[in-house]
Amino acid sequence: MSGDGESDMEYSDNDYDDYYNSGDSDVDQIDPKKTDPEYFDYKCLLVEEVEKLLNELVEKLNTRIEITPSLAKVLLHEHGWDVEKIVSKYRENSNGLLITARVKPPTNDQPTPSTSSSIACSSSSWSTTNLPTTSSLSLHRLCPVCATSHLPDKFEKLACNHSFCKDCWAMHFETQIFQGITTQIGCMATKCNVRVPEDLVLNLVTRSIMREKYQQFAFRDYVKSHPELRFCPGPNCNIIVRSTSCEVLPKRTICEMCQTQFCFKCGMDYHAPTNCQIIRKWLTKCADDSETANYISANTKDCPNCHICIEKNGGCNHMHCFHCKHDFCWMCLGDWKNHGSEYYECSRYKENPNIANESIHAQAREALKKYLHYYERWENHSKSLQLEQQTLDRIKTRVNEKVMKAQGTWIDWQYLFNAAALLAKCRYTLQYTYPYAYYMEPGSRKDLFEYQQANLEAEIENLSWKVERAETTDLGDLENQMDVAEKRRTTLLKDFFPSTVSNTFT
Amino acid sequence: MNKMTNPHRRLQKELADLKSAGLKSFRDISVHDDNILFWTGLILPENPPYNKGAFRIEINFPAEYPFKPPRITFRTKIYHPNIDEKGQVCLPIISTENWKPATKTDQVIQALIALVNDPEPEHPLRADIAEEFLKDKKKFNKNAEEFTKKNSEKRVD
Repeated sequence: MSGDGESDMEYSDNDYDDYYNSGDSDVDQIDPKKTDPEYFDYKCLLVEEVEKLLNELVEKLNTRIEITPSLAKVLLHEHGWDVEKIVSKYRENSNGLLITARVKPPTNDQPTPSTSSSIACSSSSWSTTNLPTTSSLSLHRLCPVCATSHLPDKFEKLACNHSFCKDCWAMHFETQIFQGITTQIGCMATKCNVRVPEDLVLNLVTRSIMREKYQQFAFRDYVKSHPELRFCPGPNCNIIVRSTSCEVLPKRTICEMCQTQFCFKCGMDYHAPTNCQIIRKWLTKCADDSETANYISANTKDCPNCHICIEKNGGCNHMHCFHCKHDFCWMCLGDWKNHGSEYYECSRYKENPNIANESIHAQAREALKKYLHYYERWENHSKSLQLEQQTLDRIKTRVNEKVMKAQGTWIDWQYLFNAAALLAKCRYTLQYTYPYAYYMEPGSRKDLFEYQQANLEAEIENLSWKVERAETTDLGDLENQMDVAEKRRTTLLKDFFPSTVSNTFT
Repeated sequence: MNKMTNPHRRLQKELADLKSAGLKSFRDISVHDDNILFWTGLILPENPPYNKGAFRIEINFPAEYPFKPPRITFRTKIYHPNIDEKGQVCLPIISTENWKPATKTDQVIQALIALVNDPEPEHPLRADIAEEFLKDKKKFNKNAEEFTKKNSEKRVD
């Protein structure tokens, strides 16, 4: 086996594309890689599958350079499991590679075996009382850690030649494993930074509970150092997701086992169109400012027309006062008439153009106002998502009743669930457009973003209105609304969702 | 840990070696109340402003020694950027992350004496003294010397 693996892959890839491109004209030829900005190729793997994958990489490296499997693992761990990179570095400067990976000590202060053993022997007179016979005395050596003499076969050393007795090594390993340290366990000698490979640990640690702990913690370290692998963040879920897109992208990943949805790159909740750094900044800010924002998260508002107190019990922001029949927007309390057209501006924050000339106090107030504008909308859409989940539960109950009364089958009502699922997906994206907009610099790009955001929001509210009244809405009308909302969503993502790692705000 | 470690043999040897070495700057080494895990000794720094006095330290060895590091505390009050009012000292060689089982107490003491002689204001335990050390060396020296005269033990050179 040599470097052919790569080219084989390329060949089969081309083959695959050719097969589909030259295929049946009835087959939909739209390539999701190009049309869907959220497209991401990944696989959910079990622990055993990942162990196999990592072992294969160890074997692959072993066939390329002469090194023990344990040391191969150290090198792979250090270099993100990139066999080719290690091989090329090894060919360039094998000594340098082994020194930086802390497999070998830096060459200048490497003690020779003779000096280290002479140091150990020189002070052994002290423990002669312990020795059974004088004839074996000359063979015994002193372990500098336990200060006890042993026969030479009781000693073990690494590439640095620092020799200690096996009992001390084992005790050192157990102490380190107990503290959760595995792949980073070092030699016991002062100032020596050489790392202990897996085989020595597993040869000397005998207690099974410690061996298991070692293997478990080391496996975590290995997975975390592999750029294409991620632990599913779901509670008690053991699935490991592997990106098969050859890139680490902030894309939506859904665990097949526990259904947890997360961003592949950072492992947090999926956050398109916002990128990983910005969402982290935003969430920290929200956590810090939660007290200031508390008052706005109240669940009730007064009708702007008749001032009756209204509790929001559905996800839709198009409010219809049951008392005076006034239609208004929950967010801005403005007349809903202005929201149905392209003048929908409720999502846009209007900055005070004179702010630079105002006092620091006024600027601080303006900064808070700006934050609250985005925070209110972020928080509101998050609440709407929860409320729409309740709406879906109600729909399910009603459909169940209808089916029981033989008014159609589950299949007949399936479109309702599809509509609710699409609504949730769209609103989720909409929620995450607000942190993005908050951190955007004012300018034409922000104008475009907020224009598209407003369009998306308008269509989502229309869809939500129709889903809540789904049983009385015309099916064609609902399907049309679904199509429009999803189009708005993908348009926004195509224009603003980073499709490569380096793509940020420009 | 189920398996027992026996720190006694190693500590007996270290104690004997230290006593026979007869260090100038570390004296009066004794085991407290026959407990080999608890030593005391006197530090005699060479550099001013600490060379006018002697400082008593305590060394506590854990039961897992030498697989876990010892702890050092100053019993004598000292005006130093790296030693706080409780006598705690920040010494990298005995921090849990850096600790090496083969490191001997002798090496730990050498590192401690080096730190007392040449303070490291870049990572202080007492920010006020570190700032004075960096900004007003004269004032620092005066304060430290007076503090040493008032609080430290007599040197028997």
